Amino acid sequence: MTTTTETDILDVRAAAHRQKRRRQIAYVLYLILGLILSLLIWQLVAAPFSPLFYLVPPPFDAFRHFGENLMFSERMLERYVHACPDLLDELELTGGGMFDLPDHCFGYIRHIMRTTRNIMIAVTLGTIFGLTVGLSSLVFPRIADVVTPIAGFFGTTPIFIAAPFFVIWFGIEYPLMTTVGVVVFYTTLLMYFFSRRAADNIEVGIIESALTLGGDRRSIFRWVYLPGTIPEIAGGFRIALAGAWGLGTLVEVLGIQMGGGFLIRMWSFAMGVLEGPAAVVSLILFFGVLAVVVDGILVLFIRYITRWSESGRKLGL
Amino acid sequence: MSTVVNFENLWCVFEHRSGQLVHALEDVNFRVDPGEFVCVVGRSGHGKTTLLRVLAGLQPPTAGAVKLGETAVTGPGSDRAMVFQQDTVFPWLHVKDNVEFGLRANKLPEGERNEITDYWLQAVGLEEFADSWPRELSGGMRKRVALASAMAVGSDVVLMDEPFGSLDYFTRRNLHEVLLNLWVETKKTIFFVTHDIEEALILADRVILLAEGKLVDDIAVNLPRPRNEDVRATPEAVSIFKLILAHLGITEEEATQA
Repeated sequence: MTTTTETDILDVRAAAHRQKRRRQIAYVLYLILGLILSLLIWQLVAAPFSPLFYLVPPPFDAFRHFGENLMFSERMLERYVHACPDLLDELELTGGGMFDLPDHCFGYIRHIMRTTRNIMIAVTLGTIFGLTVGLSSLVFPRIADVVTPIAGFFGTTPIFIAAPFFVIWFGIEYPLMTTVGVVVFYTTLLMYFFSRRAADNIEVGIIESALTLGGDRRSIFRWVYLPGTIPEIAGGFRIALAGAWGLGTLVEVLGIQMGGGFLIRMWSFAMGVLEGPAAVVSLILFFGVLAVVVDGILVLFIRYITRWSESGRKLGL
Repeated sequence: MSTVVNFENLWCVFEHRSGQLVHALEDVNFRVDPGEFVCVVGRSGHGKTTLLRVLAGLQPPTAGAVKLGETAVTGPGSDRAMVFQQDTVFPWLHVKDNVEFGLRANKLPEGERNEITDYWLQAVGLEEFADSWPRELSGGMRKRVALASAMAVGSDVVLMDEPFGSLDYFTRRNLHEVLLNLWVETKKTIFFVTHDIEEALILADRVILLAEGKLVDDIAVNLPRPRNEDVRATPEAVSIFKLILAHLGITEEEATQA
Protein backbone atom coordinates (compact mmCIF):
# COMPACT_ATOMS: atom_id res chain seq x y z
CA MET A 1 0.00 0.00 0.00
CA THR A 2 1.35 3.43 -0.90
CA THR A 3 0.69 6.68 0.89
CA THR A 4 0.14 10.05 -0.74
CA THR A 5 2.49 12.72 0.54
CA GLU A 6 2.20 16.49 0.33
CA THR A 7 4.96 16.44 -2.29
CA ASP A 8 2.88 14.07 -4.45
CA ILE A 9 -0.09 16.44 -4.26
CA LEU A 10 2.10 19.39 -5.19
CA ASP A 11 3.46 17.40 -8.15
CA VAL A 12 -0.07 16.69 -9.37
CA ARG A 13 -0.99 20.36 -9.04
CA ALA A 14 2.14 21.41 -10.92
CA ALA A 15 1.35 18.91 -13.68
CA ALA A 16 -2.22 20.22 -13.96
CA HIS A 17 -0.88 23.77 -14.10
CA ARG A 18 1.59 22.79 -16.85
CA GLN A 19 -1.21 21.15 -18.83
CA LYS A 20 -3.34 24.26 -18.57
CA ARG A 21 -0.43 26.46 -19.66
CA ARG A 22 0.23 24.14 -22.62
CA ARG A 23 -3.40 24.42 -23.70
CA GLN A 24 -3.21 28.23 -23.51
CA ILE A 25 0.00 28.33 -25.54
CA ALA A 26 -1.50 25.96 -28.14
CA TYR A 27 -4.56 28.21 -28.37
CA VAL A 28 -2.42 31.28 -29.09
CA LEU A 29 -0.25 29.37 -31.58
CA TYR A 30 -3.30 28.15 -33.52
CA LEU A 31 -4.66 31.69 -33.50
CA ILE A 32 -1.42 33.02 -35.00
CA LEU A 33 -1.38 30.16 -37.51
CA GLY A 34 -4.95 31.03 -38.53
CA LEU A 35 -4.01 34.69 -39.04
CA ILE A 36 -0.94 33.78 -41.09
CA LEU A 37 -3.01 31.42 -43.25
CA SER A 38 -5.66 34.12 -43.79
CA LEU A 39 -3.00 36.63 -44.86
CA LEU A 40 -1.44 34.05 -47.15
CA ILE A 41 -4.79 33.32 -48.85
CA TRP A 42 -5.45 37.05 -49.12
CA GLN A 43 -2.03 37.57 -50.71
CA LEU A 44 -2.75 34.77 -53.21
CA VAL A 45 -6.17 36.22 -54.10
CA ALA A 46 -4.51 39.61 -54.68
CA ALA A 47 -1.65 38.17 -56.79
CA PRO A 48 -1.37 39.26 -60.48
CA PHE A 49 -2.49 35.79 -61.69
CA SER A 50 -5.74 35.97 -59.67
CA PRO A 51 -9.00 36.95 -61.43
CA LEU A 52 -9.70 39.24 -58.46
CA PHE A 53 -6.39 41.05 -58.88
CA TYR A 54 -8.07 44.38 -59.76
CA LEU A 55 -10.55 44.26 -56.89
CA VAL A 56 -8.48 42.89 -54.01
CA PRO A 57 -5.38 44.75 -52.90
CA PRO A 58 -2.46 42.91 -51.28
CA PRO A 59 -2.65 42.99 -47.46
CA PHE A 60 0.30 45.30 -47.09
CA ASP A 61 -1.25 47.89 -49.47
CA ALA A 62 -4.47 47.88 -47.46
CA PHE A 63 -2.64 48.26 -44.13
CA ARG A 64 -0.41 51.00 -45.53
CA HIS A 65 -3.36 52.91 -46.97
CA PHE A 66 -5.18 52.76 -43.67
CA GLY A 67 -2.12 53.89 -41.70
CA GLU A 68 -1.39 56.76 -44.08
CA ASN A 69 -4.96 58.08 -44.03
CA LEU A 70 -5.96 57.46 -40.45
CA MET A 71 -5.05 60.79 -38.88
CA PHE A 72 -4.88 62.94 -42.02
CA SER A 73 -5.79 62.06 -45.57
CA GLU A 74 -4.60 64.16 -48.50
CA ARG A 75 -7.13 62.40 -50.69
CA MET A 76 -9.93 63.65 -48.46
CA LEU A 77 -8.57 67.18 -48.57
CA GLU A 78 -8.32 67.01 -52.40
CA ARG A 79 -11.97 65.98 -52.51
CA TYR A 80 -13.05 68.58 -49.94
CA VAL A 81 -14.31 65.83 -47.69
CA HIS A 82 -14.05 66.48 -43.99
CA ALA A 83 -15.76 65.28 -40.82
CA CYS A 84 -16.02 68.55 -38.84
CA PRO A 85 -19.19 70.35 -40.00
CA ASP A 86 -19.74 72.06 -36.62
CA LEU A 87 -16.17 73.33 -36.50
CA LEU A 88 -16.42 74.60 -40.07
CA ASP A 89 -19.60 76.53 -39.18
CA GLU A 90 -17.70 78.24 -36.35
CA LEU A 91 -14.73 78.99 -38.61
CA GLU A 92 -16.93 80.51 -41.28
CA LEU A 93 -18.33 82.96 -38.72
CA THR A 94 -14.82 84.35 -38.25
CA GLY A 95 -14.04 84.40 -41.96
CA GLY A 96 -12.20 81.08 -42.07
CA GLY A 97 -12.80 78.15 -44.41
CA MET A 98 -12.31 74.46 -44.98
CA PHE A 99 -8.56 74.72 -45.34
CA ASP A 100 -8.32 76.17 -41.85
CA LEU A 101 -9.72 72.98 -40.35
CA PRO A 102 -7.28 70.92 -38.27
CA ASP A 103 -5.66 67.89 -39.97
CA HIS A 104 -7.64 65.24 -38.10
CA CYS A 105 -10.86 66.56 -39.70
CA PHE A 106 -9.56 65.07 -42.96
CA GLY A 107 -8.44 61.77 -41.45
CA TYR A 108 -10.39 58.55 -41.33
CA ILE A 109 -10.29 58.67 -37.57
CA ARG A 110 -13.08 61.27 -37.25
CA HIS A 111 -15.39 59.23 -39.50
CA ILE A 112 -14.64 56.01 -37.68
CA MET A 113 -15.19 57.64 -34.30
CA ARG A 114 -18.50 59.08 -35.47
CA THR A 115 -19.72 55.68 -36.66
CA THR A 116 -18.55 54.02 -33.45
CA ARG A 117 -20.20 56.70 -31.32
CA ASN A 118 -23.50 56.43 -33.20
CA ILE A 119 -23.55 52.66 -32.92
CA MET A 120 -22.73 52.73 -29.20
CA ILE A 121 -25.44 55.33 -28.51
CA ALA A 122 -27.97 53.36 -30.54
CA VAL A 123 -27.17 49.97 -29.04
CA THR A 124 -27.30 51.44 -25.53
CA LEU A 125 -30.66 53.12 -26.18
CA GLY A 126 -32.12 50.07 -27.91
CA THR A 127 -30.95 47.80 -25.11
CA ILE A 128 -32.45 50.09 -22.47
CA PHE A 129 -35.79 50.29 -24.35
CA GLY A 130 -35.96 46.60 -25.17
CA LEU A 131 -34.99 45.40 -21.71
CA THR A 132 -37.19 47.91 -19.91
CA VAL A 133 -40.25 46.77 -21.80
CA GLY A 134 -39.26 43.09 -21.83
CA LEU A 135 -38.42 42.84 -18.15
CA SER A 136 -41.32 45.06 -17.04
CA SER A 137 -43.66 42.70 -18.83
CA LEU A 138 -42.51 39.94 -16.48
CA VAL A 139 -43.85 41.89 -13.52
CA PHE A 140 -46.87 43.30 -15.38
CA PRO A 141 -47.95 40.65 -17.93
CA ARG A 142 -50.45 43.07 -19.54
CA ILE A 143 -47.49 44.93 -21.04
CA ALA A 144 -46.52 41.76 -22.91
CA ASP A 145 -50.13 41.34 -24.13
CA VAL A 146 -49.97 44.79 -25.71
CA VAL A 147 -46.35 44.89 -26.89
CA THR A 148 -45.79 41.35 -28.19
CA PRO A 149 -48.17 41.61 -31.19
CA ILE A 150 -46.68 44.97 -32.20
CA ALA A 151 -43.11 43.74 -31.74
CA GLY A 152 -44.06 40.57 -33.58
CA PHE A 153 -45.33 42.60 -36.53
CA PHE A 154 -42.22 44.79 -36.76
CA GLY A 155 -40.00 41.86 -35.92
CA THR A 156 -41.07 40.12 -39.09
CA THR A 157 -39.90 43.09 -41.17
CA PRO A 158 -36.34 42.28 -42.23
CA ILE A 159 -34.11 45.03 -40.92
CA PHE A 160 -32.30 45.35 -44.25
CA ILE A 161 -35.64 46.34 -45.76
CA ALA A 162 -36.39 48.72 -42.90
CA ALA A 163 -32.97 50.42 -43.16
CA PRO A 164 -33.60 52.26 -46.49
CA PHE A 165 -36.94 53.40 -45.07
CA PHE A 166 -35.12 55.12 -42.20
CA VAL A 167 -32.75 56.80 -44.67
CA ILE A 168 -35.72 58.13 -46.67
CA TRP A 169 -37.70 59.09 -43.57
CA PHE A 170 -35.01 60.96 -41.64
CA GLY A 171 -33.04 61.92 -44.71
CA ILE A 172 -29.31 62.22 -45.09
CA GLU A 173 -29.23 65.60 -43.39
CA TYR A 174 -29.63 64.11 -39.93
CA PRO A 175 -27.15 61.25 -39.87
CA LEU A 176 -27.44 60.78 -36.12
CA MET A 177 -31.22 60.27 -36.32
CA THR A 178 -30.97 57.96 -39.31
CA THR A 179 -28.13 55.70 -38.17
CA VAL A 180 -29.20 55.70 -34.55
CA GLY A 181 -32.85 55.21 -35.55
CA VAL A 182 -32.20 52.04 -37.52
CA VAL A 183 -29.97 50.50 -34.89
CA VAL A 184 -32.28 51.46 -32.01
CA PHE A 185 -35.22 49.93 -33.88
CA TYR A 186 -33.31 46.69 -34.47
CA THR A 187 -31.76 46.48 -30.99
CA THR A 188 -35.01 47.26 -29.17
CA LEU A 189 -36.88 44.46 -30.93
CA LEU A 190 -34.05 42.00 -30.45
CA MET A 191 -33.58 42.75 -26.75
CA TYR A 192 -37.33 42.64 -26.12
CA PHE A 193 -37.59 39.17 -27.64
CA PHE A 194 -34.44 37.92 -25.92
CA SER A 195 -35.57 39.14 -22.50
CA ARG A 196 -38.97 37.48 -22.94
CA ARG A 197 -37.41 34.24 -24.13
CA ALA A 198 -34.86 34.28 -21.31
CA ALA A 199 -37.66 34.63 -18.76
CA ASP A 200 -39.65 31.84 -20.40
CA ASN A 201 -36.63 29.58 -20.11
CA ILE A 202 -36.37 29.93 -16.34
CA GLU A 203 -37.73 26.67 -14.96
CA VAL A 204 -41.20 26.85 -13.46
CA GLY A 205 -39.94 24.84 -10.48
CA ILE A 206 -37.50 27.62 -9.59
CA ILE A 207 -40.26 30.24 -9.63
CA GLU A 208 -42.55 27.98 -7.60
CA SER A 209 -39.77 27.33 -5.11
CA ALA A 210 -39.27 31.09 -4.74
CA LEU A 211 -43.02 31.51 -4.17
CA THR A 212 -43.13 28.90 -1.42
CA LEU A 213 -40.17 30.58 0.25
CA GLY A 214 -42.20 33.77 0.52
CA GLY A 215 -41.08 35.50 -2.65
CA ASP A 216 -43.36 38.23 -3.98
CA ARG A 217 -43.30 39.87 -7.44
CA ARG A 218 -40.58 42.28 -6.42
CA SER A 219 -38.22 39.81 -4.77
CA ILE A 220 -38.71 37.22 -7.51
CA PHE A 221 -37.96 39.86 -10.13
CA ARG A 222 -34.88 41.05 -8.25
CA TRP A 223 -33.44 37.68 -7.21
CA VAL A 224 -34.76 35.25 -9.81
CA TYR A 225 -35.69 36.89 -13.12
CA LEU A 226 -32.92 39.49 -13.26
CA PRO A 227 -29.95 37.21 -12.59
CA GLY A 228 -31.56 34.19 -14.26
CA THR A 229 -32.10 35.96 -17.56
CA ILE A 230 -28.61 37.48 -17.77
CA PRO A 231 -26.95 34.71 -19.83
CA GLU A 232 -29.56 34.78 -22.59
CA ILE A 233 -29.90 38.56 -22.54
CA ALA A 234 -26.13 38.85 -22.76
CA GLY A 235 -26.17 36.48 -25.73
CA GLY A 236 -28.84 38.65 -27.35
CA PHE A 237 -26.79 41.75 -26.69
CA ARG A 238 -23.79 40.22 -28.47
CA ILE A 239 -25.97 39.42 -31.49
CA ALA A 240 -27.45 42.95 -31.39
CA LEU A 241 -24.03 44.57 -31.20
CA ALA A 242 -22.57 42.42 -33.96
CA GLY A 243 -25.53 43.27 -36.19
CA ALA A 244 -25.36 46.93 -35.21
CA TRP A 245 -21.86 47.35 -36.69
CA GLY A 246 -23.12 46.05 -40.01
CA LEU A 247 -26.37 48.00 -39.92
CA GLY A 248 -24.84 51.31 -38.82
CA THR A 249 -22.24 51.12 -41.55
CA LEU A 250 -24.82 50.00 -44.13
CA VAL A 251 -27.00 53.03 -43.42
CA GLU A 252 -23.98 55.28 -43.95
CA VAL A 253 -23.22 53.49 -47.19
CA LEU A 254 -26.82 54.10 -48.29
CA GLY A 255 -26.58 57.87 -48.15
CA ILE A 256 -25.17 59.49 -45.00
CA GLN A 257 -22.47 62.12 -45.63
CA MET A 258 -20.17 61.11 -42.82
CA GLY A 259 -18.81 58.02 -41.05
CA GLY A 260 -17.01 54.83 -41.98
CA GLY A 261 -19.80 53.68 -44.30
CA PHE A 262 -19.65 56.98 -46.15
CA LEU A 263 -15.88 56.51 -46.71
CA ILE A 264 -16.54 53.02 -48.10
CA ARG A 265 -19.20 54.44 -50.48
CA MET A 266 -16.95 57.28 -51.56
CA TRP A 267 -14.02 54.98 -52.32
CA SER A 268 -16.26 52.43 -54.03
CA PHE A 269 -16.60 54.92 -56.90
CA ALA A 270 -12.86 54.66 -57.39
CA MET A 271 -12.49 50.90 -57.38
CA GLY A 272 -10.88 50.80 -60.79
CA VAL A 273 -8.34 53.51 -60.14
CA LEU A 274 -5.87 54.73 -57.58
CA GLU A 275 -6.03 53.11 -54.19
CA GLY A 276 -9.82 52.56 -54.19
CA PRO A 277 -9.72 48.80 -53.48
CA ALA A 278 -7.13 49.25 -50.73
CA ALA A 279 -9.28 51.92 -49.08
CA VAL A 280 -12.50 49.91 -49.23
CA VAL A 281 -10.90 46.68 -48.07
CA SER A 282 -8.96 48.37 -45.27
CA LEU A 283 -12.08 50.12 -43.95
CA ILE A 284 -14.18 46.95 -44.07
CA LEU A 285 -11.37 45.05 -42.38
CA PHE A 286 -11.02 47.72 -39.72
CA PHE A 287 -14.70 47.56 -38.80
CA GLY A 288 -14.53 43.77 -38.78
CA VAL A 289 -11.55 43.77 -36.42
CA LEU A 290 -13.16 46.47 -34.25
CA ALA A 291 -16.34 44.37 -33.95
CA VAL A 292 -14.34 41.26 -33.05
CA VAL A 293 -12.28 43.11 -30.42
CA VAL A 294 -15.37 44.69 -28.83
CA ASP A 295 -17.09 41.30 -28.87
CA GLY A 296 -14.05 39.68 -27.24
CA ILE A 297 -14.07 42.21 -24.41
CA LEU A 298 -17.81 41.69 -24.07
CA VAL A 299 -17.38 37.91 -23.86
CA LEU A 300 -14.91 38.27 -20.98
CA PHE A 301 -17.29 40.62 -19.19
CA ILE A 302 -20.27 38.30 -19.75
CA ARG A 303 -18.31 35.31 -18.52
CA TYR A 304 -17.48 37.24 -15.38
CA ILE A 305 -21.05 38.28 -14.60
CA THR A 306 -22.32 34.77 -15.35
CA ARG A 307 -19.51 33.07 -13.47
CA TRP A 308 -22.11 31.00 -11.62
CA SER A 309 -22.82 29.14 -14.87
CA GLU A 310 -20.71 26.83 -17.00
CA SER A 311 -18.96 29.77 -18.67
CA GLY A 312 -17.71 30.76 -15.23
CA ARG A 313 -16.24 27.30 -14.78
CA LYS A 314 -14.39 27.67 -18.09
CA LEU A 315 -12.89 30.92 -16.83
CA GLY A 316 -11.82 29.17 -13.64
CA LEU A 317 -13.88 31.58 -11.50
CA MET B 1 -45.58 25.01 16.50
CA SER B 2 -49.35 25.04 16.68
CA THR B 3 -50.65 24.77 13.16
CA VAL B 4 -53.10 21.96 12.50
CA VAL B 5 -53.47 21.10 8.82
CA ASN B 6 -56.93 20.01 7.70
CA PHE B 7 -57.81 18.53 4.34
CA GLU B 8 -61.56 18.94 4.01
CA ASN B 9 -63.50 17.21 1.23
CA LEU B 10 -60.70 18.01 -1.17
CA TRP B 11 -61.33 17.48 -4.87
CA CYS B 12 -59.00 18.28 -7.70
CA VAL B 13 -60.27 17.56 -11.19
CA PHE B 14 -58.40 18.31 -14.41
CA GLU B 15 -59.77 18.31 -17.90
CA HIS B 16 -57.65 16.29 -20.28
CA ARG B 17 -57.08 17.60 -23.81
CA SER B 18 -59.44 14.89 -25.04
CA GLY B 19 -62.17 16.42 -22.87
CA GLN B 20 -62.06 13.57 -20.37
CA LEU B 21 -62.11 14.57 -16.69
CA VAL B 22 -59.24 13.27 -14.58
CA HIS B 23 -59.87 13.03 -10.85
CA ALA B 24 -56.45 13.75 -9.37
CA LEU B 25 -57.92 14.00 -5.86
CA GLU B 26 -61.29 12.70 -4.84
CA ASP B 27 -62.90 13.73 -1.59
CA VAL B 28 -59.74 13.60 0.49
CA ASN B 29 -60.25 14.19 4.22
CA PHE B 30 -57.63 14.00 6.95
CA ARG B 31 -56.09 16.06 9.68
CA VAL B 32 -52.43 16.42 10.60
CA ASP B 33 -51.40 17.55 14.05
CA PRO B 34 -48.48 19.91 14.66
CA GLY B 35 -45.05 18.30 14.55
CA GLU B 36 -46.13 15.13 12.77
CA PHE B 37 -44.01 13.55 10.07
CA VAL B 38 -46.45 12.41 7.41
CA CYS B 39 -45.44 10.45 4.35
CA VAL B 40 -47.84 10.45 1.43
CA VAL B 41 -47.35 7.21 -0.48
CA GLY B 42 -48.87 6.05 -3.72
CA ARG B 43 -48.14 4.97 -7.26
CA SER B 44 -47.10 7.51 -9.88
CA GLY B 45 -50.01 9.62 -11.11
CA HIS B 46 -52.26 8.80 -8.16
CA GLY B 47 -52.45 12.33 -6.71
CA LYS B 48 -49.51 12.59 -4.29
CA THR B 49 -47.90 15.62 -5.87
CA THR B 50 -51.29 17.27 -6.54
CA LEU B 51 -52.11 16.94 -2.83
CA LEU B 52 -48.84 18.64 -1.92
CA ARG B 53 -49.27 21.37 -4.55
CA VAL B 54 -52.75 22.17 -3.25
CA LEU B 55 -51.32 22.44 0.25
CA ALA B 56 -48.48 24.63 -1.07
CA GLY B 57 -51.03 26.90 -2.73
CA LEU B 58 -49.57 26.24 -6.17
CA GLN B 59 -52.73 24.45 -7.35
CA PRO B 60 -56.24 25.61 -6.47
CA PRO B 61 -58.63 22.80 -5.48
CA THR B 62 -61.73 22.15 -7.57
CA ALA B 63 -63.78 21.73 -4.40
CA GLY B 64 -63.14 21.51 -0.69
CA ALA B 65 -60.28 23.19 1.10
CA VAL B 66 -56.97 22.81 2.85
CA LYS B 67 -56.87 24.76 6.08
CA LEU B 68 -53.95 25.79 8.22
CA GLY B 69 -55.66 26.24 11.57
CA GLU B 70 -58.83 28.05 10.57
CA THR B 71 -57.37 29.71 7.50
CA ALA B 72 -57.95 28.21 4.06
CA VAL B 73 -54.94 28.03 1.76
CA THR B 74 -55.44 30.42 -1.16
CA GLY B 75 -51.91 30.77 -2.50
CA PRO B 76 -48.25 30.02 -1.86
CA GLY B 77 -46.51 31.44 1.19
CA SER B 78 -43.48 31.03 3.37
CA ASP B 79 -45.59 29.33 6.07
CA ARG B 80 -45.43 26.22 3.80
CA ALA B 81 -41.92 26.11 2.36
CA MET B 82 -41.46 23.36 -0.17
CA VAL B 83 -38.53 21.21 -1.31
CA PHE B 84 -39.07 20.01 -4.86
CA GLN B 85 -38.14 16.83 -6.65
CA GLN B 86 -36.18 18.71 -9.30
CA ASP B 87 -33.18 20.89 -8.59
CA THR B 88 -34.63 24.28 -7.63
CA VAL B 89 -31.58 25.82 -6.01
CA PHE B 90 -30.93 29.21 -7.62
CA PRO B 91 -27.74 28.62 -9.62
CA TRP B 92 -26.89 32.33 -9.73
CA LEU B 93 -26.78 32.75 -5.96
CA HIS B 94 -24.03 31.56 -3.65
CA VAL B 95 -25.06 28.79 -1.26
CA LYS B 96 -25.41 31.32 1.57
CA ASP B 97 -27.60 33.64 -0.53
CA ASN B 98 -29.78 30.69 -1.51
CA VAL B 99 -30.50 29.91 2.12
CA GLU B 100 -31.03 33.61 2.76
CA PHE B 101 -33.53 34.06 -0.10
CA GLY B 102 -36.68 33.41 1.93
CA LEU B 103 -35.43 35.57 4.76
CA ARG B 104 -34.75 38.43 2.37
CA ALA B 105 -38.15 37.98 0.74
CA ASN B 106 -39.71 38.16 4.19
CA LYS B 107 -37.72 41.34 4.87
CA LEU B 108 -35.77 40.22 7.91
CA PRO B 109 -33.00 42.58 9.05
CA GLU B 110 -29.51 41.71 7.82
CA GLY B 111 -28.08 40.73 11.20
CA GLU B 112 -30.90 38.30 11.88
CA ARG B 113 -30.66 36.93 8.34
CA ASN B 114 -26.96 36.19 8.74
CA GLU B 115 -27.50 34.52 12.09
CA ILE B 116 -30.29 32.26 10.81
CA THR B 117 -28.43 31.44 7.59
CA ASP B 118 -25.25 30.49 9.43
CA TYR B 119 -27.24 28.30 11.80
CA TRP B 120 -28.98 26.34 9.03
CA LEU B 121 -25.86 25.99 6.93
CA GLN B 122 -24.20 24.43 9.94
CA ALA B 123 -27.24 22.26 10.62
CA VAL B 124 -27.01 20.69 7.15
CA GLY B 125 -23.20 20.56 7.24
CA LEU B 126 -22.53 23.11 4.53
CA GLU B 127 -20.91 25.92 6.50
CA GLU B 128 -17.65 25.44 4.59
CA PHE B 129 -19.47 25.84 1.28
CA ALA B 130 -21.31 29.08 2.14
CA ASP B 131 -19.50 31.01 -0.61
CA SER B 132 -19.62 28.27 -3.24
CA TRP B 133 -21.73 28.32 -6.36
CA PRO B 134 -24.35 25.56 -6.59
CA ARG B 135 -22.62 24.19 -9.72
CA GLU B 136 -19.64 23.38 -7.49
CA LEU B 137 -21.76 21.10 -5.28
CA SER B 138 -22.90 17.52 -5.72
CA GLY B 139 -26.58 16.63 -6.16
CA GLY B 140 -26.86 15.64 -2.51
CA MET B 141 -25.29 18.87 -1.33
CA ARG B 142 -27.67 20.90 -3.49
CA LYS B 143 -30.57 19.05 -1.85
CA ARG B 144 -29.15 20.08 1.51
CA VAL B 145 -29.14 23.69 0.32
CA ALA B 146 -32.81 23.35 -0.67
CA LEU B 147 -33.57 21.77 2.70
CA ALA B 148 -31.75 24.50 4.61
CA SER B 149 -33.58 27.19 2.56
CA ALA B 150 -36.96 25.63 3.41
CA MET B 151 -36.10 25.20 7.08
CA ALA B 152 -34.55 28.65 7.47
CA VAL B 153 -37.64 30.50 6.33
CA GLY B 154 -39.25 29.57 9.64
CA SER B 155 -42.44 27.89 8.46
CA ASP B 156 -44.26 25.47 10.76
CA VAL B 157 -45.03 23.20 7.83
CA VAL B 158 -42.44 21.88 5.37
CA LEU B 159 -43.51 20.15 2.17
CA MET B 160 -41.21 17.73 0.38
CA ASP B 161 -42.08 16.27 -3.01
CA GLU B 162 -39.91 13.19 -3.56
CA PRO B 163 -36.90 15.34 -2.74
CA PHE B 164 -34.35 12.52 -2.68
CA GLY B 165 -35.76 10.53 -5.58
CA SER B 166 -32.93 11.29 -7.97
CA LEU B 167 -30.13 10.60 -5.51
CA ASP B 168 -28.07 7.46 -5.02
CA TYR B 169 -28.75 5.11 -2.10
CA PHE B 170 -25.93 6.31 0.16
CA THR B 171 -26.66 10.00 -0.33
CA ARG B 172 -30.34 9.33 0.28
CA ARG B 173 -29.62 7.51 3.54
CA ASN B 174 -27.40 10.34 4.66
CA LEU B 175 -30.08 12.91 3.87
CA HIS B 176 -32.71 10.87 5.75
CA GLU B 177 -30.52 11.19 8.79
CA VAL B 178 -30.01 14.93 8.28
CA LEU B 179 -33.74 15.47 7.79
CA LEU B 180 -34.75 13.42 10.84
CA ASN B 181 -32.26 15.29 13.03
CA LEU B 182 -33.67 18.61 11.85
CA TRP B 183 -37.23 17.40 12.41
CA VAL B 184 -36.47 16.21 15.95
CA GLU B 185 -34.80 19.53 16.68
CA THR B 186 -37.49 21.80 15.21
CA LYS B 187 -40.65 19.66 15.49
CA LYS B 188 -41.96 21.14 12.28
CA THR B 189 -44.84 19.38 10.54
CA ILE B 190 -43.42 17.58 7.53
CA PHE B 191 -45.35 16.34 4.51
CA PHE B 192 -43.11 14.02 2.55
CA VAL B 193 -44.27 12.58 -0.75
CA THR B 194 -42.59 9.36 -1.83
CA HIS B 195 -43.27 6.22 -3.80
CA ASP B 196 -40.58 4.39 -1.86
CA ILE B 197 -42.23 2.38 0.94
CA GLU B 198 -38.95 1.79 2.74
CA GLU B 199 -38.25 5.51 2.78
CA ALA B 200 -41.70 6.07 4.30
CA LEU B 201 -40.99 3.46 6.99
CA ILE B 202 -37.69 5.12 7.88
CA LEU B 203 -39.17 8.61 8.15
CA ALA B 204 -42.87 8.68 8.91
CA ASP B 205 -45.10 8.87 11.98
CA ARG B 206 -48.02 8.32 9.63
CA VAL B 207 -48.40 7.06 6.12
CA ILE B 208 -51.23 8.48 4.04
CA LEU B 209 -51.95 6.12 1.18
CA LEU B 210 -53.39 7.47 -2.02
CA ALA B 211 -54.72 5.34 -4.85
CA GLU B 212 -56.40 6.87 -7.90
CA GLY B 213 -56.80 10.14 -6.02
CA LYS B 214 -58.58 8.59 -3.04
CA LEU B 215 -57.26 8.26 0.48
CA VAL B 216 -57.28 4.51 0.94
CA ASP B 217 -55.61 4.23 4.32
CA ASP B 218 -54.04 6.26 7.06
CA ILE B 219 -51.46 4.09 8.80
CA ALA B 220 -49.73 4.98 12.06
CA VAL B 221 -46.08 3.93 12.06
CA ASN B 222 -45.26 3.35 15.70
CA LEU B 223 -41.82 1.88 15.20
CA PRO B 224 -38.95 2.92 17.48
CA ARG B 225 -36.38 5.37 16.10
CA PRO B 226 -33.77 5.28 14.68
CA ARG B 227 -35.29 2.89 12.20
CA ASN B 228 -32.26 0.94 11.12
CA GLU B 229 -32.29 -2.38 9.23
CA ASP B 230 -33.05 -4.32 12.45
CA VAL B 231 -36.12 -2.22 13.25
CA ARG B 232 -37.34 -2.46 9.67
CA ALA B 233 -37.01 -6.26 9.88
CA THR B 234 -39.30 -6.57 12.93
CA PRO B 235 -42.66 -8.29 12.36
CA GLU B 236 -44.49 -5.01 13.02
CA ALA B 237 -42.52 -3.17 10.34
CA VAL B 238 -42.91 -6.01 7.89
CA SER B 239 -46.68 -6.10 8.43
CA ILE B 240 -46.92 -2.33 7.72
CA PHE B 241 -44.80 -2.85 4.64
CA LYS B 242 -47.10 -5.65 3.44
CA LEU B 243 -50.21 -3.63 4.22
CA ILE B 244 -48.95 -0.75 2.09
CA LEU B 245 -48.05 -3.15 -0.70
CA ALA B 246 -51.51 -4.67 -0.58
CA HIS B 247 -53.16 -1.26 -0.77
CA LEU B 248 -51.02 -0.33 -3.74
CA GLY B 249 -51.92 -3.59 -5.42
CA ILE B 250 -48.33 -4.78 -5.58
CA THR B 251 -47.37 -8.36 -4.78
CA GLU B 252 -44.33 -9.09 -2.62
CA GLU B 253 -42.60 -10.62 -5.63
CA GLU B 254 -43.10 -7.45 -7.66
CA ALA B 255 -41.85 -5.36 -4.74
CA THR B 256 -38.73 -7.52 -4.40
CA GLN B 257 -38.06 -7.24 -8.11
CA ALA B 258 -38.52 -3.48 -7.95
